[in-house]
Amino acid sequence: MKKTVLFLAAILVIFLVSCGGSGSKNIKLGMLYNMTGSQASLDGPSSNGAKLAAKEINAAGGVLGKQLELVSYDGKSDAETIGKAAAQLVEKDKVVAMFGFSDSDMVMAAAPIAAKAKIVFITSGATSPKLPSQVPDYLFLSCFGDNVQAAAAAEYSWNTLNAKSAYLLIDKGMEYTLLLGKYFQERFTELGGSVVLEDTYQTGDKDFSAQITKLKALKPAPDMLFISSGPDDIGTIVKQVRDAGITSPIFGGDGYDTPLLMEIAGKGANNVYYTTHSLMDKNAGSPEVQKFIAAYEAEYNTAPENAFAGLGYDTVYLLADAIKRANSADPKKIREALQTTKDLPGVTGSITFEPGSPIPQKGVAIIEIQDDALKLAAEVVPEKVPAP
Amino acid sequence: MRRDRSTAIVSLAAIGITFLVLWLLHSFGGYYIERIVIGIGINLILVISLNLANGFTGLFSLGHIGFMAIGAYASAILTLPLSLKSTNLPDLPVFLSKIQMPFLPAVLVGGLIAMVVALLIGLSLMRLTGPYISVATMGFLVIVQVVLTNWDSMTRGARTFAGVPEYTNVWNVWIWAILVLYIVWRIKFSSFGRKMMAARDNEIAARSLGINVMASRLLAFCISAFFTGVAGALWAHFITAFSPKSFYFSQTFSVVTMLVVGGLGSLSGSVVGVMLITILSEILRNAERGFSIGPLVIPEVYGASQVIMAVLFVLFIVFRPRGLFGDAELDVRRFFKKEKEVSG
Repeated sequence: MKKTVLFLAAILVIFLVSCGGSGSKNIKLGMLYNMTGSQASLDGPSSNGAKLAAKEINAAGGVLGKQLELVSYDGKSDAETIGKAAAQLVEKDKVVAMFGFSDSDMVMAAAPIAAKAKIVFITSGATSPKLPSQVPDYLFLSCFGDNVQAAAAAEYSWNTLNAKSAYLLIDKGMEYTLLLGKYFQERFTELGGSVVLEDTYQTGDKDFSAQITKLKALKPAPDMLFISSGPDDIGTIVKQVRDAGITSPIFGGDGYDTPLLMEIAGKGANNVYYTTHSLMDKNAGSPEVQKFIAAYEAEYNTAPENAFAGLGYDTVYLLADAIKRANSADPKKIREALQTTKDLPGVTGSITFEPGSPIPQKGVAIIEIQDDALKLAAEVVPEKVPAP
Repeated sequence: MRRDRSTAIVSLAAIGITFLVLWLLHSFGGYYIERIVIGIGINLILVISLNLANGFTGLFSLGHIGFMAIGAYASAILTLPLSLKSTNLPDLPVFLSKIQMPFLPAVLVGGLIAMVVALLIGLSLMRLTGPYISVATMGFLVIVQVVLTNWDSMTRGARTFAGVPEYTNVWNVWIWAILVLYIVWRIKFSSFGRKMMAARDNEIAARSLGINVMASRLLAFCISAFFTGVAGALWAHFITAFSPKSFYFSQTFSVVTMLVVGGLGSLSGSVVGVMLITILSEILRNAERGFSIGPLVIPEVYGASQVIMAVLFVLFIVFRPRGLFGDAELDVRRFFKKEKEVSG
């Protein structure tokens, strides 16, 4: 028994020692991504992109004559761990700004803690336009909101694909897919289109024959299918829809931006369209994208896994730009400078914050899959965006 | 009589020391330490109440996190500010959309709803034994998950339930934790508790002595669900934004692990299990970010903490299958007595 007590005491001592702070002259930015757990496939590339950006900035002389230091913790896709990590960033590491995450739950576990310490939190990949209102003044998006990408999808479908009627399939298991589907429906019907059937499924479902049977029974067949799905399910859905003989265009959001889509659906992926942050293609992408891909490959020996790598990369440049224009690493001045960001070029489009809006004005890339290849179909800035 | 008095003195002293330590941590520890302390308190309630069901009655429930979810959502809906209710939960039934409860009643209601649900499912589930009950309670967990993700008007479905007021602090969590520990301790050494354990160890023998096995199991299950619901409510007001997937298998396994490491049936084990695992995983989480000992530099290896913890559990189960304490309790007086014998 005595040994047990001594053992516990020893652990406590190690723990308290490990909590000791450290000081440095660098400008410290807190980086929170889920390197393990369910979010790792999105957050891992984001983290790599962010580190690459910091390395480039430091190699070019840093910001205000100081080096940028990314202090990172693994969120482990767990709200409790994220809360603790955010507290450490505020208290022990004394960061001047925080960024990270691609999921609303995760952002909401960290951002209020940053706000309490009067530090901004920029989410690089959580696209819910409802987020900033939950943490007023201190939560910014560096990606577009779901209302923007859904409006872009609706306008492109109406204007370019000449779709008048749509079938809507929504994953009920995610905030992202629910909002995306709702915003698409709102904008599409506003333009004059009609949603002939709305159906749902749950994240992780493997068999879609019930939904497909109902879809096939529709007379006349809808001009297009809008399938609001996350990255893990979309390949399976597209494959089963195509196997059932349905060849209409399939449209979706940035959840489609995963190699899994073409790997699983194969030829079926042709005639699929989706909105995303940018076309991550070595040859067809914009000059910024090509430069980014080359740098990413040199650093990690692999092409960027998805657009989230670019989002992480742009977020660090966004913060560096704000610190430069604020001419100070004071959190309050950084926030003010961030709000006045204008036409900052980036891999995922140029970023401008309108006064009072924490969601950037950004173009939406529409990707088209034809002949087994990704192609940039259009860059769209929607004419009208549904309210968050 | 003397034993009773010394028990009371030791208990009061322990409570006093606990609060002194809490006060020190609260005053000098900072926000990060405070979050860990609150997390330990909530996990204590979860593990102790799970111990009441699993350790004392021997019915291994894997569905308790379902009760946690019920408590969390109930309390969150009841306390959500009215202005947020109209925007976040526009389809709420009228009697809910017009009220905003204070913290304590909301927590109690959360616990009570969990308890009523436990009673309803317990009436049939408590007739099962052994592994069947684990499977059936896991089914309950899945049902709760599906209901939460589809009941849009009450829970916002799978979307984040945000804006829950941050009421939880070190004090209210630890008062609950000590209360739960005290009540469950009293149950363990009451005639109820002995009936439960008799039924666990040999059901037929217990029945032949006239013990109503069903009633004692159902009682343990319901009380346990109540406290789990309370813990869920406290958690909701601690994290403030969550969705149904927060209450699923990973949360279940984390609580079950703490229980098994401490020892099924031992309350001291639950307390030590929770603290040991929380502190160890915090150390590993900080260590996996990379560190240097003199010239030796260990780079960051994310995920290493989970792997090391998992390996430790395997070793632990191999070498101490009954947990740290088995079903025995830590007796401080014995510790001092031994000390005297050794020195004397």
